[in-house]
Amino acid sequence: MCNLPIKVVCRANAEYMSPSGKVPFIHVGNQVVSELGPIVQFVKAKGHSLSDGLDEVQKAEMKAYMELVNNMLLTAELYLQWCDEATVGEITHARYGSPYPWPLNRILAYQKQWEVKRKMKAIGWGKKTLDQVLEDVDQCCQALSQRLGTQPYFFNKQPTELDALVFGHLYTILTTQLTNDELSEKVKNYSNLLAFCRRIEQHYFEDRAKGSSSIRLS
Amino acid sequence: MAAPMELFCWSGGWGLPSVDLDSLATYARFTGAPLKVHKISNPWRSPSGTLPALRTSHGEVISVPHKIITHLRKEKFNADYDLSARQGADTLAFVSLLEEKLLPVLIHTFWIDAKNYVEVTRKWYAEAMPFPLNFFLPGRMQRQHMERLQLLCGEHRPEHEEELEKELYQDARECLTLLSQRLGSQKFFFGDAPASLDAFVFSYLALLLQVKLPSGKLQAHLRGLHNLCAYCTHILSLYFPWDGAEVPPPRQTPVSPETEEEPYRRRTQVLSVLAGLAAMVGYALLSGIVSVQRATPARTPGTGALGMAEGDEEE
Repeated sequence: MCNLPIKVVCRANAEYMSPSGKVPFIHVGNQVVSELGPIVQFVKAKGHSLSDGLDEVQKAEMKAYMELVNNMLLTAELYLQWCDEATVGEITHARYGSPYPWPLNRILAYQKQWEVKRKMKAIGWGKKTLDQVLEDVDQCCQALSQRLGTQPYFFNKQPTELDALVFGHLYTILTTQLTNDELSEKVKNYSNLLAFCRRIEQHYFEDRAKGSSSIRLS
Repeated sequence: MAAPMELFCWSGGWGLPSVDLDSLATYARFTGAPLKVHKISNPWRSPSGTLPALRTSHGEVISVPHKIITHLRKEKFNADYDLSARQGADTLAFVSLLEEKLLPVLIHTFWIDAKNYVEVTRKWYAEAMPFPLNFFLPGRMQRQHMERLQLLCGEHRPEHEEELEKELYQDARECLTLLSQRLGSQKFFFGDAPASLDAFVFSYLALLLQVKLPSGKLQAHLRGLHNLCAYCTHILSLYFPWDGAEVPPPRQTPVSPETEEEPYRRRTQVLSVLAGLAAMVGYALLSGIVSVQRATPARTPGTGALGMAEGDEEE
C-alpha cells in the first residue's frame, strides 16, 4: 500500500530465520525486521507512513482495533488450524510437514501443534469449543463491520495499517480451503467487509490476482 | 425466590477494594447488581477452588471472568445497554488492547520483578493466607504467572530478556498514553455513565496507581497522565467509598493482617508447644529416664525433672 518494491519469498524455515521467531519478516540490505508492528515502524523511519493524517484519538482507535484483530482473528485461525481435529488431520499436518522428508514432517508438525495448544491454554482458549470460537469471530467481524460502516476504508478515504491487517486476515480466511467453511461463512455474513476486501484486492493486487485464487462469492 | 448471587473475590489491601485484577466487583457495582460480595483470602474456600468465582442464584458456580460478565448481562444487569453499536465495537477493541499490551506488564511488575514480588506481592499474599497455604501458594501462583507471561510473549531467550522487558514496558507506556488520549477530558470513556470498558480500565489502572511499589517505572509514567489519575480517584470515591474508608492507612496495615492471623498464630503456637511437650515426655518415658511410680511421690518428680534435663543436655 505504500508503493514500495518488494519480493515475496516462501521458505519452509521462515520461522527460524526470523529474529523473534515470528513471521512475517522483511530483509532489507543488512537489516532484518520481524512482525507487523516493528516493520511499520521501520518503514515509517524511512519516511513512508500510511497513518500520518490521523489525529491522536484516531491513532488510539486504530491501535486498539489492530489488537482486536490480532487477539481474535489470529487466535481463531490458529485454533482452527491446530486444535480442531478434523482440520489438523486432513490439512494442517500435511501442509506443515510437506517440505520435509519422513519422519521429520510428522515430528515437526506434532511439535508445533503441542506448542500452539500450550499457548491456547495459557490465554484461556484451551477449553473453548469450535462453536464458541466461531461466535467470537462473529463478534469481532461485527465490531469491524460496524466500525467500517459505509466508508471505503476504516479511516476516511485513505487506507491505513489497520486496513492492511484486516485485509490480510479476511482474505486468508475467505480464500483458504478448509474442511468446514463455517469460518468463511461468518465473514461472508457482513457484506461491507466483503466489499472492502474486493476493493483492496482489485486496487492493489490486480496483476497478481489474475493467476491465483480470488474471492469467490458463492 | 432464588438466593442472591454471591461473588467471591480476593480481599482488599493497599487501599483498594480488591487486590486481584478483579473487574467484576467493579462491573457489578456499576450495574447495581444485587451481589453479596465475600472477600476472602483463601482460594480453597471459594466454591470453585479459584478466585474470582460467582455463585449464581440457581446454585451453579462460574469462575472464568468473561463468563461471569456474560452471566450478569443475561440476568439483565448490563452497563452497556445505552451504548451505540460503534461504541460497543470500540469497547471490544480497547479491551483487546489492554489485554495485549498492559496485562503482560502488570503481571511482570507484580510477579516477576524480583524486588516488587518479594517486598509487596508475596508479602501480602503470605500474610493474608492461613497457615499451611502461605508457604507454597504464592510460589505456585508466581510460577503460573511466569509461564503465562512466557507463552504470551513467545520465545524467551535469556540474553534477550532485558530487551524484551524494555519493549514490553515501552508498549505499555504507549498503551497508557493512548488510553489517556482517548479519554480526553470526559468523565468516563463513553460520556457520563460508566460502561464495562470503564470497569476494565479502572481495574488495571487502580492496581498500578494505588500500590506502593519499590520499582515502579510504569507507575511514574501513569502518574504523569493526570486525566487517568483523576479518572481513577473519581471512580474510587464514587463507587467504593466505604471500602476506601474500611481499609486503614498504610501505617496500620501491618497491624490488621496481624490481628486477622491472630487466631491462626495462637493456634499454631499452642499446637507447636503441645507437640514439643508431647515429644519430650514421650522420649523420656520410652528411654526410661522418667518412670511413673506410685511410691515416693515427693522424690520421683524431682529426679524425673533432673533426668529430663540431663537427657536434653546429652542431646
